[in-house]
Order: sequence, then C-alpha cells, then structure tokens
Amino acid sequence: MIFLAAAGLVMLLSGLASYYTTQQISAFAVANLVAGPLALVAAGVVQTRRVSGFSGALSRRVLLRQTALVGVVAAAVVVSNVLASGWTASLDLTADRQYTLADQTLGVCAQIGKLPEARRPSLLFFEDALIAKEVRLRIAGYEAHCPIETRTLREAQAPPEARPILSEFETTVIACLGSRCEAVGYPSEGNITNALLRLTRASTPVVYFMLGHGEVNLSSEADHGFSALAGALRDEGMDVRGILGPAREEVPADADVLIVAAPERDLLPDEIESIDAWLEAGGRMLALLEPETASNLVELLGRWGFDLPPGVVADERVSPLLVDATPLSLLLNQFNGWHPITRKLSHRHMVLLPSARPVFAARKPMPDDRLEALLFTHKTAWLERDPAAARSGHGAGPDPAGPRGVPLPLAAAGRYPREHGEARIVVIGDADFASNRLLHTLYNPDLLLNSVLWLAEDEEQIALRPKGPTPDQDPLTIQQTLAYFYFLAFALPEALLLLGIHAWYRQRG
Amino acid sequence: MRRRIAALFMKELRSLFASPIAYVVLTAFVSLSAVYFFQHLISYNQLLFAFQSEGLATTDFDQGTVPLQINTLNELFMPFAGDLHLFLLAVIPLITMRVFAEERATGTDELLLTTPLRTWELALAKHATTYLFVMLLLGVSAIYPAVIISKSQLGMAHLGALYLGQLAYGVAIAAIGLACSSLTRSQVVAAIVAYAVPFILLDFAWLDPVLTESAAGILSGAAIQPHLDNFARGVLEFRHAVYFGGLTVLGFTVSVASLELVRAR
Amino acid sequence: MAAKIEAKKVSKRFGAHVALAHFDVEIAPGEIFGLIGPNGAGKTTFLRILTGYWLPTEGDVYVDGDSVVEQRERVQAKLGYACEQPKLYMDHGVETFLRLMGQLRGLGGGDLSLAVERSIERFELQEVARRRIGVLSKGFQQRVSLAQALLHDPPLVVVDEPTVGLDPRQQLELRRILQGLGGSHTLLLCTHQLREAEACCDRVALLDRGKLLRTFSADELESAGSLEDLFLEQTQGRSDT
Repeated sequence: MIFLAAAGLVMLLSGLASYYTTQQISAFAVANLVAGPLALVAAGVVQTRRVSGFSGALSRRVLLRQTALVGVVAAAVVVSNVLASGWTASLDLTADRQYTLADQTLGVCAQIGKLPEARRPSLLFFEDALIAKEVRLRIAGYEAHCPIETRTLREAQAPPEARPILSEFETTVIACLGSRCEAVGYPSEGNITNALLRLTRASTPVVYFMLGHGEVNLSSEADHGFSALAGALRDEGMDVRGILGPAREEVPADADVLIVAAPERDLLPDEIESIDAWLEAGGRMLALLEPETASNLVELLGRWGFDLPPGVVADERVSPLLVDATPLSLLLNQFNGWHPITRKLSHRHMVLLPSARPVFAARKPMPDDRLEALLFTHKTAWLERDPAAARSGHGAGPDPAGPRGVPLPLAAAGRYPREHGEARIVVIGDADFASNRLLHTLYNPDLLLNSVLWLAEDEEQIALRPKGPTPDQDPLTIQQTLAYFYFLAFALPEALLLLGIHAWYRQRG
Repeated sequence: MRRRIAALFMKELRSLFASPIAYVVLTAFVSLSAVYFFQHLISYNQLLFAFQSEGLATTDFDQGTVPLQINTLNELFMPFAGDLHLFLLAVIPLITMRVFAEERATGTDELLLTTPLRTWELALAKHATTYLFVMLLLGVSAIYPAVIISKSQLGMAHLGALYLGQLAYGVAIAAIGLACSSLTRSQVVAAIVAYAVPFILLDFAWLDPVLTESAAGILSGAAIQPHLDNFARGVLEFRHAVYFGGLTVLGFTVSVASLELVRAR
Repeated sequence: MAAKIEAKKVSKRFGAHVALAHFDVEIAPGEIFGLIGPNGAGKTTFLRILTGYWLPTEGDVYVDGDSVVEQRERVQAKLGYACEQPKLYMDHGVETFLRLMGQLRGLGGGDLSLAVERSIERFELQEVARRRIGVLSKGFQQRVSLAQALLHDPPLVVVDEPTVGLDPRQQLELRRILQGLGGSHTLLLCTHQLREAEACCDRVALLDRGKLLRTFSADELESAGSLEDLFLEQTQGRSDT
C-alpha cells in the first residue's frame, strides 16, 4: 500500500512538474497525471479498509466523530470560500491608493446608475491578455462600485461587436454600449473611466481653440506642445476644434467653450469685438496667459473685471519636484474651497505652475456679476516685474516696500448674467502647466479640465481624476546597497549558522 | 488552560531552537531571499541606468526620465514576492515535518496525552509555535525590502500588504505540513507529503483542457496561485484571506482529529 | 487523598488481536497494586487505558467514580504516570522539564516552584537539575520520570517497569521510594520483575495473553512462598516468561 501511494505521488508530481516547466500537456504529463491519481485512489481505498482496525464501538465513535469534524470544517471552508468569492471587499494599501476608484470614476458611476439599464455601458475584460493580472484588481473595483456589467472572458469568447477591435489592437479592456465598442488603450483607471464617460455622455460639448496668433500648438507631441491637452479634452467626451481667428469674424454658433491659450500677438480688433459680442450673448471663454503675454486680450479681460499686472510670480519655497527648479516654479495647494472648479481641491492636492502671472478678480463690470479668485500662492511669494530677468536668475527679489505676506491669486473665474444668457470666463495666469510635459502632473489636469467643464455648464462631471502611480526609482546608492547586502546576505546568515552549530553541539552533548 | 497552552508553546519553542534545523532553515531562507532580492535590485538599477544614460526621455523632470512601468513595485517587489513563495514552500516542510511525527516516533506523545490536556490545546501550541517561526522567517527577510521601501514611495503599508500575504500563505503551508506531520510517525513521509500537497494545490490550470468552463473556474478558486498575486500589488482582498485562513483551519482540524485518533486506535 | 480504582470488563482489541479481555479489578485507596505477567500479557495496555492514552474497546475504568472514557481529563488530573522506558524531552534541562510538566498539570507560581524544588530533593536530582536530560544516565532519567509523575502529588501513581535498566543499587533505592508512597497514594505498579512486585506490593494481579489469571493478596504471597513459583505455575506452557 505504501509503495502504491508513493508511486502514485511520484507519478502525479512528475506529471505536474513536466506541465509547469513546459507549460504543455504532453503525452508524458497525461500518462502521469492519469496514473498517479489512480494509484493514490487505490492506495486510499486499501487504507480505508484498515479503518476496521478501530475495534469497538467507542473507537468507531471517535473515528466517526473526528471524520465528521474534518468533513464539516472542510465543508465550511468550501462554503466560506464560495461565499467570499463574490465578496469584493478589500483594503488598498498602496501609497497612491491606486486600486481605490477615484472621485471622477465614482461620479461617472453614479451618473451611469441614473441611466436606464439599456443605456448602461459594459466592460469586457480579457483575462488572457498580456497584462491582465495587473488589471484584474482595477476591474474588481468597477465590479464592486459601478452599476455596469463587467464580463471576464477570453479573447476567443469576445462578442461580435468587440471582434473588429481585437483584430486591430492588442487590448485588455473594451467598453461597449449596445453594438458600439471602444478599445481602452492602456487600461488605467483614467482611460477606462473616460471610455465609459464617452459612451454615456448625453451631449458633446464643443470646445474651440483660437489659433493664428502664436497660441499653443495642439498638434505638437513635444514636451512644450499641447497635444495632451487636446487628447485630455477628447477623453472627457468633448469635441475639440480649432478656429483660425483672422479668417473668421464671429465665434461659431456651436461653440460651448472658447479657449484662448497664450497668444503671442495681438488679436485683430474685429476678433476682439466678436469675442466681446459673443461673451455678451452668454459665451464662455478660458484664457490661459503667460507672464509675457501682452496682447490686447489682456485689455479685453480687463473690461470683464480681471486685473492682470505684467510680471511673473516667484516664491522662496522652490518646488522639489523639478530638477531645474527656480523660484518661478510654483507648487501650490491654496484653492478657493467654495468655487465649483476648485471645491474638490484641498491643501492635500497640489498643482505645479512652472511660471505664472497674477490674476486679480478686480471689479464687477455689472452689479450682478460675480468674480472670484480660484488659486493662490503662499504668503512667501512676490511679483517679479521683469519676467526675462527673473528667468535668467537675475530677478529683483522681493520688493521691500511691496505687499509681502499676502497670497497672490493666479487664477480667477467670473459669471456675468446678461440678457441673452450667462457669460462665464476663467483666466489662469499660466499656459505651460497644461503642456505635454506637465499636464498629467499632480492635479494640473483637474484644474484645467474642471475649468472647461464649469464653463460648459457640465458641473456634474467636475471631479478629481484618477492618478497614475507615483514614480519611485533608484532608492539606494551602490555603497548603501552593498552595505545592506553584506549584512543580510553574509553577516546575518553567518550568525544564524553559528547559533545552529552551537545547538547541534549541545544536542550531541 | 491558558497556562497549559503557554507552557506547551514555550516547550515547542525550546525544542525548535534546540535543534540545528531551525537555524539551518533560517540561514538558508535569509541567504536566499537576500541574494535574490539583491539580484533584482541590480537588474533594476541597471535598467534605470540604461534609461537615464541613453537619454530615452527628457532630463529636466523626474517623472519623464524612466517609463512609469519600470518602478520598484514591478521590477523589485513583484518578482521578489514570487521568490518568497517558492522559498517558503521549500523550507516550511523541513520545520513542520518533526513537530508531531517526532513525538509519536519517540513516544513522548504518551507523556503529553496522559496529562489533563485537551488535544486542541496541544495542537494549538504546536501550530502557534510554527506560525511564529514563519513570522520570524518573514520578519528577517523583510529587513532589506523595508530599507528600500523607506527610501522609495511605495509606502510601508504596501510592504505590510505584501508580507501579510506571504504570512497568510506561509501559515497555510505550515498548517498543511503540520497536518501531514500529525498523520505519521515518519518525518520523511511527513516532509514528502507536505511538499506534495501544496505543489498539487498550486494551480489546476493543467486540467482546463478537459474541464468545462465552470468546473475550471471552481478548481481555479481552490488553487493557491490565483490567491497570491494581489497581496504584492498592495491590496488585501478579504476573499484571499478567507482562502488561506480556511486552509489553516482545515490543517489545524486535521491535526486535532489525528491526535484524537491516536487514542482511539 | 489516595484514589480508588475500579476496572469493569475492560477489553482492548487491535483488529483480530486481543490485548486485554474483560479485565476486572478493584484497587483500594492507598493500596500498592502490582500487575505482573509475561511480555504481551496486557499490563501496559491496561495502564494506557487507565491513564487515558487509549480508549478501551469495551468496558471502563473508574478512578474515584470518574470514568476514564467519559471524564478523561478529570481522571488524568488525579494521576501521575511514569512510562516504561522514560519518555522525556531529552533537549530540556531537568528543572525546565519538571516545570513544564507541573504547568501542564495546572501548577503555577509559588506552588510550581515549591513542587519542583521538593521533587528535585526527593529524587536527589540536585546535582543534575540544570543539565539536559539527554546526557543523564538511565538511572537519573528514571528518577526524572518518577519525579514528574509525583510532582503534583496525585492520589494515583501509575508506574510502568520502573527499574528496567537500573543497576541493583538504583533498583533498591527506587523500591524504597515506591514503598514510601503506599498509604498516602494509590500506586499501580506494572512490572515483570517478580521480586520487585513481592517487595513493594500489597496485592498483585497476574495477567497472561490479555486475561487476568489470578489476584494474590499479601498473605497469599507470603503463604505461597515465592511469587516466582506461582507465576510459573499459572503461566505454564508459555515460552516467553
């Protein structure tokens, strides 16, 4: 019997070992995986007969009771595991709470919950995709907190509407609504949520960028380009278009938001006039200004109550995030907690503005207008009047006579109730913070995208977006690594081994 | 009762550390984990160096220099967690094999089972001591990762999740080993079966071709491997804790039952 | 203080093999009772049933009215057991081992220290108190085994082949100790050394092949002359005596 059990075990283990090493079910593996368990079962049957060795009612009673105990516990373990398999409760102990759904996702899920079943999207998760293991936890989060159907399946089982995508892309997650499916690129939470958002958006806000005056380059993928900004707006389900200012006399009628981002040259008077008229008629505009911007846009904004003194804001507290940090790179965490754009941002959230000019909400053009500052510097900041000198490191420094100890506002928003509708304007004293290099840094995207959503009166979508993992690299120097290695790989085992020899010596007596 | 369990616990601890095997196992585990961790660290540093020196990204901002997927979690802790699983499986049966089998072989179980001691108290003390040893193994192996963690941004809580997962797994493996040890008087048989059972339970994916989808799903839930990964990712999923807890409770119950059966022979 | 033992139709079978068959005996409190018989007679089997290590196949043993089957822990609390060939933790020091056994029997604090100290003195273990049991001579190991059995001063002491492997002087010493236990403790002594039984016991039961052949009182032993003759007479035809 012992030989049979041992032989069975050896065969089973050989079969498994051949499978694990080759990842193939070969004839050898099959033969062993069949014969091994059979031999074990046979040995088990023989052993069961030996149970008759438990003579007498008392012994049999104990045998029965203990077998029942093990059986009941085994059954309880199986049942608890079956019940727990549907239990998605978990504790996310990652530093960035990577697997805890972000505020934006929860908001999107809440909105989906209000939709009728037929209009709710679903997620297809391909468990045989290359990075499926990394994504499984994230999908579990959606399963637990989002009223959508999540289906875990193999690529071969994909429904017909998803197959064209699979034949074109290597993808792990596909979002579908009826027969309309979208591949989620890298299955980060942001991308999955945006795919759901796009599928469920009832309307598509149209965002126009003013072009033709040296504004930011939306097609450039370089660090200083702004292709990421256009992409982020599209990801939020917006329709992004450009208008070549000089060629048009009027802002298009379908424009929900007009973005004027860091024009280097003056706008034509006609353009200024048409923007002004459009705003008067209830238009919405986001102005991203650089410290050097001195175009007539500043004058236009002045008429709408914004005071934009020239210069660049500097701060003694240099940002530790930038390798080449200067006093001009501002790491900010002071927000207006009352305004819808910044309500969700607290002192725990930071934005990084590489160089910014102050934006004062100075006056109300009409009594019912409301202007509010959104973002502030620390009290240690001051205004450098000459941006070029400040950039080259020859700034004047804090003005001893200037108003120090007062936070300077760097962004402001205004609401202007007018006869034909409410105009809205947001002015941010920096454009570079939304460049490809910095758009996805900290809470920069939230400041920008929430501004656009507020302007588009899509306030339900205002949220804090999921963040990627914080990069953490190169923690130790070679010398430190070696020192720890010597201690743990040599000194500690050596000490343990000496203790072992001592124990052995004592045991020998 | 508490006094009896405490006394037995101390006795088990004395027996464990009176034998050189505990030190040999500790040494092997610490050396292996340190060497492998160091290897991963070297590879990781070389990757970082390659990215930074070849100017594969911009140099003026930290975040842009190295692709995000190359980080301490993916390059260091995930492979290290895989190593730890293997090392634990390799060394734990060496410790558990003697715990019950030796008492039966030398007859000292007669000494214990003729005192007014309940079998579950005896089993509890033996299990608790072994679990403590598993904690010690993991604790010593955690020094190095803790140093790295303290200097990176993963966070101690993340390391805690990784090691809680290792502990749940290690304790379950130990419980299986102890159950095997309680069923025989031969330490060799106890060790072989203690290696074989987790190895068989590791994964049932090899049965997929001959099973229906639902049966494969059920078997996958019974396998160890699918319950392991997420701990290293920093997430404690309670269903995985239930799985390893279940294996532990089952191992403990088998130990108690086999002690009762010694009486009923 | 001493306990009364009643064994009622105690049997133990291992499959087809009968180790003990319908064994009946009654031992009075304070009595020194000997179990003698050839190897395989069922002596150790009875001791293992009495001490709760094994379950009987049939029957039961009562210690002061407590059933060893139903109230095992109560019975075990009342007895001290020194196994045949001392089964001790060889990696433990003598004092550490005695403390452990005391704790397992519910002693603690000052009582435990006092009991350990007294036991060490009683069995003259002072010189080896801090040494590991594994390095001690057979005689000392036997004493340690007895010391642990008597540590908590139990009403019933069960001793299995206590003088095996001891030199004559050690045997004499041990017998003196065992004789001293009578009266205040009930002592059940299992041996196949007939002189030992003669010297120590108030009453002796002779077992063979699992059956009780006869019980001899002290008077019967005295009048019969030699226990050896009685033994040979009762176990005629057995080659392993």
